[in-house]
Amino acid sequence: MVNINKNILRSFLLLSYVAILALIIFGISSLYSYLNLGADRNTMLHTEIKKIDQYIPRLDWAPLSNEGRKIDEQTLSTIENDYLDAWYVKHVAYKTNNTEGIDDYYTENARRNIIDFVALNLSSTITIDGTTLEHHPKLEFFSEDGQLAVITDKDVIEYKRIYQNEKLVLETKERNTYKSILLLEDGFWRIRHMIKEQSDDYEMNIVPSLHQITTLQGINYYPQATPWDMFGDTFSKEIISKDFEIIKNAGLNSVRVFVQYDDFGKANINEVKLEKLKQTLDSAEEHNLKVLVTLFDFYGDYSVLNWTLNMHHAETIVSTLKDHKAIVAWDIKNEPNLDFESRGKENVIAWLDNMIDLVKSIDKKNPVTIGWSNTQSATILKDKVDFISFHYYEDLETLETSIKTLKTETLHKPLVMQEFGRSSYNGFWSPFGSSDEDQADFHKKAQEIIAANDLQFMSWTLYDFENIPKEVVGRLPWRKNAQKQFGFINNNGAKKASFKYISKQ
Amino acid sequence: MKIKFTYLFIFGLLFISAINSFKKSDNIDNFQLLTTETEFVADTKIELNFSSINEKLPKLYLSNSYGTTILKPNLLNGVLNFQLPESISKKTGIVTWKLLLDTVKLTGSFNINPKQEVSTLETYIGPPSIVAGGTDFSMIVIIPTDLFDNPLLDNTEVNVRHLFLKDLSNKAHFTKNRFAYQNIYSPALSGRILVSSESLNKNSKEYDVNVLPAIPNDFTISYKRNHAFADGNQVTSFFTSTIKDQYGNIVSDGTYVEYFIRTDSNVILKTSGTTIRGVATAKMIHPDHEENWIVKAFIEGMAESNVLELMYEPVISDFEISFSENKRIITIGPLKSFMSQLIPDGIEVKISIYQNDSKMSTITKSSFEGFAIFKLNANTFPNDTYTLKIEAVGIEKTFRNLKLW
Repeated sequence: MVNINKNILRSFLLLSYVAILALIIFGISSLYSYLNLGADRNTMLHTEIKKIDQYIPRLDWAPLSNEGRKIDEQTLSTIENDYLDAWYVKHVAYKTNNTEGIDDYYTENARRNIIDFVALNLSSTITIDGTTLEHHPKLEFFSEDGQLAVITDKDVIEYKRIYQNEKLVLETKERNTYKSILLLEDGFWRIRHMIKEQSDDYEMNIVPSLHQITTLQGINYYPQATPWDMFGDTFSKEIISKDFEIIKNAGLNSVRVFVQYDDFGKANINEVKLEKLKQTLDSAEEHNLKVLVTLFDFYGDYSVLNWTLNMHHAETIVSTLKDHKAIVAWDIKNEPNLDFESRGKENVIAWLDNMIDLVKSIDKKNPVTIGWSNTQSATILKDKVDFISFHYYEDLETLETSIKTLKTETLHKPLVMQEFGRSSYNGFWSPFGSSDEDQADFHKKAQEIIAANDLQFMSWTLYDFENIPKEVVGRLPWRKNAQKQFGFINNNGAKKASFKYISKQ
Repeated sequence: MKIKFTYLFIFGLLFISAINSFKKSDNIDNFQLLTTETEFVADTKIELNFSSINEKLPKLYLSNSYGTTILKPNLLNGVLNFQLPESISKKTGIVTWKLLLDTVKLTGSFNINPKQEVSTLETYIGPPSIVAGGTDFSMIVIIPTDLFDNPLLDNTEVNVRHLFLKDLSNKAHFTKNRFAYQNIYSPALSGRILVSSESLNKNSKEYDVNVLPAIPNDFTISYKRNHAFADGNQVTSFFTSTIKDQYGNIVSDGTYVEYFIRTDSNVILKTSGTTIRGVATAKMIHPDHEENWIVKAFIEGMAESNVLELMYEPVISDFEISFSENKRIITIGPLKSFMSQLIPDGIEVKISIYQNDSKMSTITKSSFEGFAIFKLNANTFPNDTYTLKIEAVGIEKTFRNLKLW
């Protein structure tokens, strides 16, 4: 007994000794590496590119017919940059009530107006979260010495949220026309005079899309090896083509794919990824499948000042692909209602609302929807979307009533159950989980309800996955493991029992 | 039966309108705009009034050319009064307002116009110097602004005056896009144009535009020298005629004129000068041997001169050469000039040494006090027979099979 105690004591001492040593070494090494941190050598030459896009609203110059000197492209683009930057610093000033940057883009006399406003708003704790979404400038005049320009900026779409004491007081979207006189000072085109000449409230008319979805029977798709990284380095058109063949042969007619905001290069779309998306669409077309593209996944900022960047992202994708025959509809955002709590419901809805307007202004043909994560949120913006999408991972018992309520609430707009499924995982982390049979049973029942209610659907998902990135369901192993086995085909490539019920037949 | 129907119809209508009016009076947020003006003049004090039937104090959203704000009201005897802050009341443009109520939307807009009185004539003029001749011009841009730095309304009259020599011109303009502009074309003569402007009895200060001469016309050149001898010592000066542009303006001082001199051996010598009162002077040292020069001057890319031919006479027809110390010391001279005086120092004398028709070396020396003395080093030129060629002032003398020991 004594001996054992002694041994325990010994081993404890030994272990604590090792632990203390390890801590000391770790401490010294981190101190050493901290002291060795210095400026990166290549910063010495200032070769890094300073300009980052922070504000890119849609901007269309009217054809040039200005009085005075003929302008060249280079100067016009400098004016455009500085003019937009002037707007940007103004938005920032009114959002933060701090006038930093104003001096660069407004002349000495003009900046006083903004400084006065900031002081006024600061005194009554007003902040304005605003942005402009569209500009239609016309160059009226460019002086002979190239130092003065006059611009009429027609129909500037201006969005503002006004807060007082941190409470939202008003949300407004206006269409304004401004006349600006700019001077070239110290290499900056600065605003000298600015006059608002017209102003009215702006609401885009809701125009239904030319096409509508009628018989969407599909599946959410990720390649088995690269879930949530479909357009990465391992992108292979052959694999996608093979998978699309399986999907087509299973009696389905469509797939849903995802564009991840950061992955696609944010505002500056990565051309390579866009090309891969196009190849995916080409492959779908070859297999006679339609594609529902989710424009924003893994995105959750929604801050008003970044809207122009988000919109530029969506605009690039939509305008490039809108005429592709495989496109069936645009899904604006995957499960935005999950961000309500962390980002504020009004912020998210306003973002969606404006994003729908943007997509519809570019593509009048294809319908637009939002991939809500449940049936309760699915009525939000129901008048703006062309069809309603919801995801359903709850008990199938209540599905039918949910569908009925949704149908009456949305005045019988087409309804798509855009994601549904069940994991067949039962193991260490979930000993009482579902089996393959349970999953099959779930899909069988789901298909019955779908048939009975004439519902359009896209199930989750074709494959079981090996690796789930932590961004999808977090790090918790019971969630991760469950997420791995939602597929109709398992990791060995064998069709699970549920495959029989993948489609209506 | 028909009458019954009509009655029923009218009754129905009355009923509906009754419901409507009932609804209205039920609405407790019954505010109305009392201020009737929609056009104001920029001022320190502008206010908006609303009628109010209750104690509610809704706020007012206001947005103008530069910014947006929210105002708190003052309630005075059932009138909701909003005093516009100066950052709104002083600036022109359209101002939109919204009364922030929960139930009804009350919105509107009004215009603030500048006070049509000029406080400053914002004037931009450029480019500051232009070329004479009536094709080049400078532009004057005028933005008349009021007391609060607002540009005045369009169609404000602006007079642009400019004076050149005795010509005074006055032209009226009406502002468009809040400014007026005029192109001021250059006269044929160079000089200075004085410009000023006036609007609504307010006069600007004086501005000026320099009119520079246009590109020069072709010109002639002349030269001056002390004598025509090629003594390698005196200097020949070249002069241009007074260089003028096509309107007779003397070109600006400092115009660069370059002289090109082509010699007999097709070597080009260059000299240059800049103009003062239209004349550019340049100098060149005389050659040291008989030569003909062809001279032409250019203002690069713009104008050129006539061609001038100069002849330089030889100063020496012959010179003596003596050998000493085993013929290793060669003395050339005395070199005598045109008056038999010793030639000024610095005349180039060249000896080329050949052996078996192949050149071994060339030695060059400048004359000093009429002589040039060469010493052939025994290490470089061992004892043997050589051929020497001696050149000076354009005269060449050859000694064949000269034996050195």
